[in-house]
Amino acid sequence: MTRWIIVADLNRCVGCQTCTSACKHANATAPGVQWRKVLDFETGEYPDVRRAFLPAGCMHCDEPPCMDVCPSTATGKRADGIVTIDYDLCIGCAYCAVACPYQARFRVDRPASAYAGKRMRHEIAREDPHRIGVAQKCTFCLERIDAGLAAGLTPGLDEEATPACVNSCIAGALHFGDADDPDSNVSRLLAEHRHFRMHEDLQTGPGIYYLWEQATEGETAAPEETAPPPMAAEPVGMDAVSPRRQTNWDWRAAANFIAGGTGAGLFAATALAGLFVPPPMPAAGLLALALVAAGLFCVWLEIGRPWRFINVYFNARRSWMTREALAALPFFALGGGAALSGSPPLWLGAAAFGLLFLYCQARILRAARGIPAWRQAGIVPLIVDTGLSEGTGIFAVFAAASGNESLQQGSAMVLLILLFLRYAAWRLYRRALGNQGAPVQTFRTLDQGWLNLHGGTQLVIAAITAAGLMMPALLAAGGIAAAVTGWAFKYTLITRAAFTQGYAIARMPARGAGTSAPGIKPGWMRS
Amino acid sequence: MNKHRHSGQVSSYCYQCVAGPDMLKVDIEDGIATQVRPNSDAAAIHPAGGKVCVKAFGLIQKTYNPHRILTPMKRTNPKKGRNEDPGFTPISWDEALDTIAARLNEAREKGLTDASGFPRVAASFGGGGTPTAYMGTFPAFLAAWGPVDMSFGSGQGVKCYHSEHLYGELWHRAFTVSPDTPLVELIISFGANVEASGGVCGVRRHADARARGVKRIQIEPHLSVTGACSAEWVPIRPKTDAAFLLAMLHVVLHEEKRDRLDVPFLKERTSSPYLIAPNGFYIRDGESGKPLIWDLNTRRAVPYDTPNTDPALEGDFLVSGIETGPDDKSWTHENIACRPAFEHLLEHVEPYSPEWAADICDVGAGTIRSVARQFLDHAHIGETIEIGGRTLPFRPVAISLGKTVNNGWGGYECCWARTLLACLVGGLEVPGGTLGTTVRLNRPADNRWSSVTPGPDGFMHYPMNPTRKGEWLSRSPSRHAHRTLVPLAANSPWSQALGPTHLAWMMQQKGFDHLPEPTQPDVWFVYRTNPAISFWDTDAVSDSMAKFPFTVCFAYTHDETNHMADILLPECTDLEGLQLIRIGGSKYVEQFWDYQGFALRDPASEPQGEARDFTWIATELARRTGLLKEYNTAINKGAAGVRLYGENFDFSLQPEQSHAVEDIWNRICRAANAELTDGEESGGLDYFREHGFRVKPFPREQWYLYPAMAEQGLRFELPYQERLYRIGQELKARLHEQGITWWDRQLREYEPMPHWQDLPGLWESALSECFDADIDDYPFWLLTARSMQYSWGGNAGIQMIHEVAANVAGHGGVVMNPAAARKLGLKEGDRVEVRSPVGRTEGAVVLRQGIRPDTLLMVGQFDHWVTPFAKDLKLPSMNALTPMILELTDATGSGADLVKAAVKRIGERP
Repeated sequence: MTRWIIVADLNRCVGCQTCTSACKHANATAPGVQWRKVLDFETGEYPDVRRAFLPAGCMHCDEPPCMDVCPSTATGKRADGIVTIDYDLCIGCAYCAVACPYQARFRVDRPASAYAGKRMRHEIAREDPHRIGVAQKCTFCLERIDAGLAAGLTPGLDEEATPACVNSCIAGALHFGDADDPDSNVSRLLAEHRHFRMHEDLQTGPGIYYLWEQATEGETAAPEETAPPPMAAEPVGMDAVSPRRQTNWDWRAAANFIAGGTGAGLFAATALAGLFVPPPMPAAGLLALALVAAGLFCVWLEIGRPWRFINVYFNARRSWMTREALAALPFFALGGGAALSGSPPLWLGAAAFGLLFLYCQARILRAARGIPAWRQAGIVPLIVDTGLSEGTGIFAVFAAASGNESLQQGSAMVLLILLFLRYAAWRLYRRALGNQGAPVQTFRTLDQGWLNLHGGTQLVIAAITAAGLMMPALLAAGGIAAAVTGWAFKYTLITRAAFTQGYAIARMPARGAGTSAPGIKPGWMRS
Repeated sequence: MNKHRHSGQVSSYCYQCVAGPDMLKVDIEDGIATQVRPNSDAAAIHPAGGKVCVKAFGLIQKTYNPHRILTPMKRTNPKKGRNEDPGFTPISWDEALDTIAARLNEAREKGLTDASGFPRVAASFGGGGTPTAYMGTFPAFLAAWGPVDMSFGSGQGVKCYHSEHLYGELWHRAFTVSPDTPLVELIISFGANVEASGGVCGVRRHADARARGVKRIQIEPHLSVTGACSAEWVPIRPKTDAAFLLAMLHVVLHEEKRDRLDVPFLKERTSSPYLIAPNGFYIRDGESGKPLIWDLNTRRAVPYDTPNTDPALEGDFLVSGIETGPDDKSWTHENIACRPAFEHLLEHVEPYSPEWAADICDVGAGTIRSVARQFLDHAHIGETIEIGGRTLPFRPVAISLGKTVNNGWGGYECCWARTLLACLVGGLEVPGGTLGTTVRLNRPADNRWSSVTPGPDGFMHYPMNPTRKGEWLSRSPSRHAHRTLVPLAANSPWSQALGPTHLAWMMQQKGFDHLPEPTQPDVWFVYRTNPAISFWDTDAVSDSMAKFPFTVCFAYTHDETNHMADILLPECTDLEGLQLIRIGGSKYVEQFWDYQGFALRDPASEPQGEARDFTWIATELARRTGLLKEYNTAINKGAAGVRLYGENFDFSLQPEQSHAVEDIWNRICRAANAELTDGEESGGLDYFREHGFRVKPFPREQWYLYPAMAEQGLRFELPYQERLYRIGQELKARLHEQGITWWDRQLREYEPMPHWQDLPGLWESALSECFDADIDDYPFWLLTARSMQYSWGGNAGIQMIHEVAANVAGHGGVVMNPAAARKLGLKEGDRVEVRSPVGRTEGAVVLRQGIRPDTLLMVGQFDHWVTPFAKDLKLPSMNALTPMILELTDATGSGADLVKAAVKRIGERP
């Protein structure tokens, strides 16, 4: 077998960005897009300070989170470890971008222009329309590898078969080769040096190794020797390497989680109520369907290649986005039928698919491993319960308006239970997030404001809802409040609190005869 | 015009910075240059394996930048100034060249020099001489023209290693100085930023050294890229490096045993044993006039070159002889007590203990002592190594000096102490040690060994500007008086550029007493430089150039200097023009090759718009000024880099004809091939187009000056500067005879051995006195640092460079320590005004722990106000804040990028 990897010798790297530029040339990437770049880290406090440079990019992981989430199967992994993107399949949903903990994926929606509006001759000449509106990232220059291999060359040793960044490195810091060959250049380097991989704890099996110190003679340098880097909540001057608010999914994606969750919850609540106080209310059902549809429409507005949306169905085997889309189909079909016919089995069937849809939404976030606030296990019950609470809250408005006391009493009781469960899910989620650590800004954003899932707010809503047992108007108010706080939470979660993983350096390298030192995970804390 | 390929690859080179040249290849698709690559064909012969740095990758955008000036232009608004719209309008090449030729012909008719004796034509080129790699045969036009004033600086003096250039060439043919990186074990680097400014060769050699386990200690007020790559960082107070180095001398000479020094080297290869007479000059043999040493074998004083002696380094000896002072003043001495120079050195550095230096440098005495001892620990005294079949001393320790350390006041002290420390361990110009790279003031310029010729007193010859009565030039043929004021500036083609270039600008504002009336050049040519941005006190420089009557700028885009131009000429940029240059041997910075030869710059793109090859422009100017014969003859003699005839070849141009660009370079290529093969081969342009370059071996022993010195029995002129001491007194006499007293402060530098002077205090008092400022209002030291992405590249307007440079912390802002920022209530990204007594700039706060709390740093040079793209970046620059004053000008005519500054918040992060 072959496993292509890059080995970066941090003792040699000077942060010059020649590899960054060579990559931009070789791959004609757009301004602002850097498939390869070199990060600048600083640790310590004056005067005991260290600084190091770290080449980063797509890690071509053994277990690439980007591939698992891809709904179109555009992202694949070759037998030699290279993670690929089929530009003709990709719908540009950017799910892979939020799933990548290395911030290695980009989407460019317009042809490149370094000088606003004035496209240069080489930009026009090298424009690749296939790359517009789809995911893109480092390819390890696979065309060169394949052509080189076909010509009998050895990647990593022969320039024509080696990635452009490695060829260009002026410090001899970057090396490319086959990790499965124990005699290869990279295997020898790994044997002779202590090394780490970025975010080793995420168990993605990244394919870039960083050498930080020469191994002593006879020592075998195993990667697990390198302890995880300490978190630094308030690092100085490290904005460029700290977690940043993700920009791939904006309000349109948030709208899908808001409307989709509420719609699924509302349909389920309506169907459930219909079991006890038949028939189910068609208006509520139709609203639920409309909400889910509106959410999906918003997502459609966000994707880079909207007319390829059908490709979303290509990866039922792994992608929760595909599964979400699949669940939506019977939900709409059965739900439409139920609302029109009033048939209880159709109601229940549609509600089941609605709940499945909601569950898929929760799993979509859980699988987005590039966003620490989303990938928590506790996100699943929290998102599911939030959807159910919102839907039940909206249903409570219908109940309050219906004048049916049983319906009012029932929906109030169910909403109270869901509110309690939602609060419990939030607490569990928050505690787990706090224990594991997350970007400082994620905590700050989640914990601030009053329109949230915190105890005080929820207690007030529960009290209003409980009062709704007496006064239908208050039930409606409680229901709306339950929904609005859920929506606000999800909007915050998807957009404002969604900070990326950021970068980290596990060890500051030994420079020449110097010593190594602990690294840093900037912008992170436990809370 | 040049042919260029429609597809495939062409060979070229990158010489955008002084640390080049390096070879590259360019991909061409449908006639468009699309991609820059390293040149793997050169992997085996290039010190960095055929690689080019990030700057070369900016060349594609540089070629197709929509902001380029693509037709000749003329100014329509006769008023010049920052706030005047030049009103440039396109004109034809004929009109542009005829206009220039008319001005030149008019100047020629009036006489090549003006009433003050200054050339009527001036030219300014940037980038430490690198523009010649892009200006084709323009040097031949300048040679054909006659006297040209190159004294209007573009940044040299304050942006270069000025003291190192002059003293380095005097002491060891070292225009710049480098460790012998492939063999060194310990590098002590005072602010040398080789990982940013050492080019690909510097980066590769030092990366290899680190992989080998070399220790580098970086002593610098901020944690630069180079500090990041070093084993240790010592944050020293700005401009106190001389105190640290003097303390190292103290430790080595007063705290360690003598056998830790290379005593034989000191006795045989330095002036250490020369006996000093009471007036401070050597005591000399009455008959031969040779300096005397005390021979321990015969216990008597003998001339320094007497065979089989054992010279004394220490002690008092009764000696008779003569002493020769300035202007042949002579004293005869009988049995007077004389001590060797080394003994004087011991006394000189005795007060400079680490404890003394600790407070000055804000570095612990223990650290200073430890650094000095490590220097000795790694010196391998007594060891040898085989290089090229010769057995040479092996001394793998070196000290590097960076900008602001080795220029301006204090530069002499640092260069002296560094070079002397190398001598003390026998580590000057030997394998592993401290080496010079190239020569620019001594001749011949292409070979350091050939420049080693005997001079007075057993030292190398040095082409000082004369200071003796009757020989001194009271009127210098340049507007900065380099031959009048700076003996060390010599008189080579490079000397004008290495004179006190800011004086030329200062004199435009106010003439100096008793020098010729400052005049403006009738015609000023500007190429690849933007002194309105890159010089010091840029506001004053801009005002001066706005008054020049006729300025011709070879213009890439509109910029702050050509804003004042009368004619703009669009020349072919790097990837469009044709040229052959010399490569290899030993060049600036860290370019030490095992080969030497030539490389071609083959056009990768057709010229954009009306841009023309520089060689075509030069030929047309020669034709229109009636100088074709002189121009072609200059090319034949080698003004374009290669002499076109030799013993068994002759590819000379017909002197009276106008030759096409390709014809000229074809002949140059043929001559280059013939030169490399002793006339056996003579492939022309086609050969170089196919191969890209051609080299022959360059013997590695020629990296080291020691063998050439030893063969001729010459000594390094250290530690005692008897020659400079005499010259200083002569210069003082000459200047005073002429009534010039404003250079007196500079004359104090001519000491036999430099004393510590309170350099930070000197800056503070100069600023407070000259600008009537309360120095307490300016609590920070403001510094700058080079950036690999930008320095010398003229690429502040290149988007890709800006984009990738942003990955390196410090670009684009005012770097400051968070503790200092906190005291001022500043946070990351805040917009601040930084003010010195001279000027102001604006930028964003960039917080880093790796900077002293009393120091601010602005990487690179920006503050553009008209250059497209760059003007929108809103990046700060210290150049407008740096004073251009005599008080801060040293004897070599340089200043330093250093000023005191205050910071004020003016807004939040946008």
